[in-house]
Formats: sequence, structure tokens, C-alpha cells
Amino acid sequence: MYQSSVFINLSPPLVASLEVGHHLYWHLGNLKVHGQVFITSWVVIAVLLISAWLATRNPQRVPQGIQNLMEYALEFIRNLARDQIGEKEYRSWVPFVGTLFLFIFVSNWSGALVPWKLIELPDGELAAPTNDINTTVALALLVSLAYFYAGFRKAGLGYFAKYIQPTPILLPIAILEDFTKPLSLSFRLFGNILADELVVAVLVLLVPLIVPLPVMLLGLFTSAIQALVFATLAAAYIHEALEVGGEHGEEH
Amino acid sequence: MFDFDATLPLMAGQFLLLVVVLNALFFRPLSRVIEERQAYIQGQGVQARQKLAEAERLARQYEQELAQTRRQYQATILQAQEEATKEAATLVAAAQAEAQQQREQVEQQLQQQRQAALQTLQKQVDSLSNQILAKLLA
Repeated sequence: MYQSSVFINLSPPLVASLEVGHHLYWHLGNLKVHGQVFITSWVVIAVLLISAWLATRNPQRVPQGIQNLMEYALEFIRNLARDQIGEKEYRSWVPFVGTLFLFIFVSNWSGALVPWKLIELPDGELAAPTNDINTTVALALLVSLAYFYAGFRKAGLGYFAKYIQPTPILLPIAILEDFTKPLSLSFRLFGNILADELVVAVLVLLVPLIVPLPVMLLGLFTSAIQALVFATLAAAYIHEALEVGGEHGEEH
Repeated sequence: MFDFDATLPLMAGQFLLLVVVLNALFFRPLSRVIEERQAYIQGQGVQARQKLAEAERLARQYEQELAQTRRQYQATILQAQEEATKEAATLVAAAQAEAQQQREQVEQQLQQQRQAALQTLQKQVDSLSNQILAKLLA
């Protein structure tokens, strides 16, 4: 197993220590699982479910409070999906793209806003679930599955035509794309979130007061942008796969 | 940093479960609320436009009726004036005719009385001249 660890422990302040590559391992049978990722992801899922439940518990025609907020989020997601996938097909993809966005967004912001490190774990430390490569690769692979599913459902085996569509010369590149898409999706998210948390941790280590604040704000901003980018790209890939099926019949 | 293990498939499964649950709990009901609201707003807009059209139609109708009534009333006034003038003319004519008749009657009577007076005067002149003649001769 490949592990790299960065250990910086220059000064006593409790919160300002930094470790990467240490995990809280849970053993399920002979499988190993990163416990700290699941703990925080359950918190994130709980936040999402509770706010969804509060928003739809007693829906009003004139929305108020949390219903208003969640409707704003839903409208945002629907617009995103409609812009990327198109008016005709976007409806059935809203839950998938929307859950991607909400899960990644709340995960990222939980990493930036919740002082997880105050909770002591036997090993490893709590952080955003998207801080772990397993999570981002899982999400990226799901996106791959989703766009393959979309393409095959729309065009059947005719979906393979897209690999030789303009010219068969591009076949290797077309195949390569199916690997680079999940790779870039997962590493972009993972790298951004990990790098953000590392930068904040290093700055806190060096200057504990005030100076890290702008970087933390920047971290909030990049976190939101990364969630948006992930969801937008997922929708764009799905749209691309749907296009292959759509070419026979209608315009585009 | 890059150690993959069972976290990956479990996280994927957990995420798919979240998609299903959120779809049932969040996306479907709230989308329905939003769509119902849009339908309601559109319905209200259509209704309002219909009412506006109806109001405009009624206003036009009332204006037409008003114009018609005004024309009618002017015609009535004109007719009444005409009738009044005519009646005045006939009355005046009748009065003039009566006055003329009375004047002629009076003139006739006057003539008769003058005639009678002249006759009596003639008689008296005759008798007086006879008397004078008798006196002179006698």
C-alpha cells in the first residue's frame, strides 16, 4: 500500500498540526475502510436530509424560511442541468446532478467551516469527505457510469458510433477520453480541497491570527466553485452522450 | 494519500442511496411545488388577461350606448323644438285670424251705425227744412 505522509509539528498549538495519509481504519471482514471519511460524510448526508425534510415537510405556495432557501438551491440546480443537458432531457437527470452538487458543496464547506480537528480520533483526523481520493474517484466513476447509461439508453449499441463518428482516426483519443474524464474530475476536486486545507493548515501553523482569514475565504470560494464545476461537467458529459443518440432524429 | 480500498465502492453505493432518497424527499416534491406555483401564476395571468379584455369590451359597449343615447336625446330635443314652433305658429295664425274677423265685424257694425245715423240725420234735415219752408211760406 502506498502511503505518503507529511508531518509538521513545529509548535505546541493543538489545532495546528498537519497530517496527510493517516486514516482511521475500520475493518469490515477483510476489507479496510477509511472511517473518518464515513463519519463526516454521514454528517453531510444528515445535514442534507434534515434540510430537505424541513423544506418539504409543509410546502407552501408562498415559500418561507428554509423552503425558500432549498427552492433557490433547486432552481439553481435545475437551471444548471437545463443549460447543460437541454430542455428536453434534463428533468430525469436533475436528481443525480443535483445530489452531486449538494453533496460536494456541503462536504467542501463542512471541511472549511466546521472545526473538525477539535474532535480527537485515535488515528487520522476528520476532514471534508472530498478530501479523500476514494470519495472523489467514487463520484467520478459514478459520473462515467451515468453518461454511459445515458448514451446506451438513448442510442443502444449505436452509442459506439461516437468513437468513430467524425473519423476513425480519432478512435484512440475517443477511447482515452473515457479514462481522462473521471481521472480529471476526481483529481481536480481532490487536489483543490486537499490543497486548500493544507494551505490553511500551514498558514495557521505559521501565523495563527488574522493572516489565514483571506485564504480561508478563498477556500470557501474555491470549494463552492469546485462543486459547481463537478456538477456542470457531469451534466455536460451526460449531454454529450445524449447527443450521440439524438443525432439520428432531430436537430442540434 | 492514494490508498484505495473498500471506501470507494461503499462511498459510491452510499451516494447512489443518497440520490434515491433525496429524489424522493427533496427533488420530486419541491419540483412539484415549483411547477404547481408556475401553473397557478400562469392561470392567474390568463384569468387576469381575460378579465381585462372583458372590461375593455364592456367599456366600449357602454361608450357606444352612451353615444347612441346622446344622439337620441338630441333628436328628441330637436323634434320637440320643431313641434313647439309649429304649434306656436298655428296658435299665432289662429289668433290673428280671429282678430281680423273681429275687426271686420266691428268695422261692419260701425258702418251700419254710421249709415243709420246718416239716415236719421237726413230725415231730420228733411223735416226741419219742411218746417222752415212752411214757416217761411206761411
